[in-house]
Amino acid sequence: MNKHMIISVMSKDRPGIIANITGAIYHLGGDLADLNQTVLCGYLTMILSASFDSEVTKEDLVAAISHIKTDCKFEVSIKELAVAGDDPAERPPEETYILTVQGPNKAGIVYGISQFCFEHNINILDLATTLKNNQYTMALQLDLRKCSIELESLQKELVIYARQSDLTIMIQHNDIFRVTHEISMP
Amino acid sequence: MLRSDQILATVEMIQKENLDVRTVTLGLNLLDCRGGNIDQTCDKIRNKILTYAGNFVATCEAMSSKYGIPVVNKRIAVTPIAFVGAGFNQDDFVRLAITLDEAATAVGVDILGGFSAQVEKGMTATDREFIASIPAALAATSKVCASINIATTQKGINMDAVAMMGKTIKDLAEMTADQGGFGAAKFVVFCNQPGDNPFMAGAIHGLEEAEAVLNVGVSGPGVIARSLERLIHNHPAPGTLQLDELAEEIKQTTFRVTRCGELIGRAVSLSLGIEFGVVDLSLAPTPTVGDSVGEIFKILGVDAIGAPGSTAILAMLNDAVKKGGIFASKTVGGLSGAFIPVMEDAMLAEAVGNGSLCLEKLEAMTCVCSVGLDMVAIPGSVDADTISAIIADEMAIGVVNCKTTAVRLIPVPGKEAGDYVSFGGLFGASPIMPIRNVGMSSRFIAWGGRMPAPVHSFKN
Repeated sequence: MNKHMIISVMSKDRPGIIANITGAIYHLGGDLADLNQTVLCGYLTMILSASFDSEVTKEDLVAAISHIKTDCKFEVSIKELAVAGDDPAERPPEETYILTVQGPNKAGIVYGISQFCFEHNINILDLATTLKNNQYTMALQLDLRKCSIELESLQKELVIYARQSDLTIMIQHNDIFRVTHEISMP
Repeated sequence: MLRSDQILATVEMIQKENLDVRTVTLGLNLLDCRGGNIDQTCDKIRNKILTYAGNFVATCEAMSSKYGIPVVNKRIAVTPIAFVGAGFNQDDFVRLAITLDEAATAVGVDILGGFSAQVEKGMTATDREFIASIPAALAATSKVCASINIATTQKGINMDAVAMMGKTIKDLAEMTADQGGFGAAKFVVFCNQPGDNPFMAGAIHGLEEAEAVLNVGVSGPGVIARSLERLIHNHPAPGTLQLDELAEEIKQTTFRVTRCGELIGRAVSLSLGIEFGVVDLSLAPTPTVGDSVGEIFKILGVDAIGAPGSTAILAMLNDAVKKGGIFASKTVGGLSGAFIPVMEDAMLAEAVGNGSLCLEKLEAMTCVCSVGLDMVAIPGSVDADTISAIIADEMAIGVVNCKTTAVRLIPVPGKEAGDYVSFGGLFGASPIMPIRNVGMSSRFIAWGGRMPAPVHSFKN
């Protein structure tokens, strides 16, 4: 097992997609390490990480997946890695914060916030958005370890940004959400 | 995976519902500060407080900023000062109070508690000097709070001390008459006083405690009120929501509130290198609109606070708060329950004003809540013996029910029932509560001695 691949698959959602894809990996002798999937507007997308024997190629895997009988063809993209990806850390770094953004729906909210993060060298670890009754809500998990400014200045800039863009923005430490949503303490 | 619904619930709790850590209280043992004379003792006390609490306020503020949750009060509680000042006289105790006040100001804390004594069974000569010093000590200081434990379930009630308390409270109010008797708001009389309570005016650092300990008081009546309103709003059809479900909502919300307090308390403790003590998960109202325990009564179904049903509601609220908090925190202590301080709660004060809440009903409610007759403004003309007798009743409730009870009455000089008094800030404002049967209890108070401990205290 010395060849590591990252596989991304998109398809119209239906029962059996994960069984199909992981079956193709299994029959090529692959060892599945991790899988993440989500469904949006009836389309399923997943990203998998798996290891194979050195003689298995990307083309073998594409062929195996394309032979699966399905109404909606899988869109597949595969990347070979020189070494296995890092194991996910047991817990996020200490400087992990949750940013929430709420406001009336309009174009450019996600772009504006993500550009703000980019400009301050803030990495977005996770992001969820919902649109309900024309109210747009974003929750972002941010890694501030390499943030270009101090937290206090960041909070001030967010207040200005919120005012300018007519949004309600809050930033709170990730641990607040862990302790209020999980049974165990950090 | 991020759950934006959960995240928003917590964000609402902090942003709109007045979630805060009500107090981080640094408990400090001062027994080793006793010097050969009053000057040496004052120096040692000052040095110890400055050494231990020098970075305390800054650290609380740093953690508050890191987690985005306000820490409203930073306080110090010390060893009951009557122990520290054994052998000192009345004037010496006033000097100790002034030293504590100066040290509290120097380190920037809001209030300091522990100008206290424990006399539930008997009083030493020092205790008598200490009690005599209370009016002058509190009139001469701004940050010092005093308390005295005069009854326990184990030992019964010290009725000699009860008799002295009425006079002490009257003197205290008279000495601060220019502030509406505000001095009395800084003095509380206890039964079964806990040694790890972070809330004022009754915070002390009990003799059983370690050298220095951090205790946290979380609050959040506003958070509980809003979560109940949401639940009721989402169940509009009659019969779709019952009290057990409302109790469960209180429990779960308290869990989340307590967790925030525990997180910040432990972070401050780690940063200062001071042992973490307990979380006191009390619903402590403030005069701010939307931060009221009284409001919860109305949400839960009585149209007037003090109407029949109020005691039952308070019993359920107090119990649900304890259940949620006990699971949330590794170590729960202090008072832990619901407070009903009249002046500090705008809706309780309003209920006094419109006559729906009387002293007798308030007393009944204290049987099932976590403290007692707290921050009740009464006419300045009420005599000392009547005040002592009100205290005796409240002490009896605590002794028999094996619980903490306390009395903080303010006989407002020159004012009568229906007049209005305001202390401002967290101490709040209220109409003066009428007292019935004034002057009818003097023969009872004159007996003195001790009221024996109840039969169920003999468990050895």
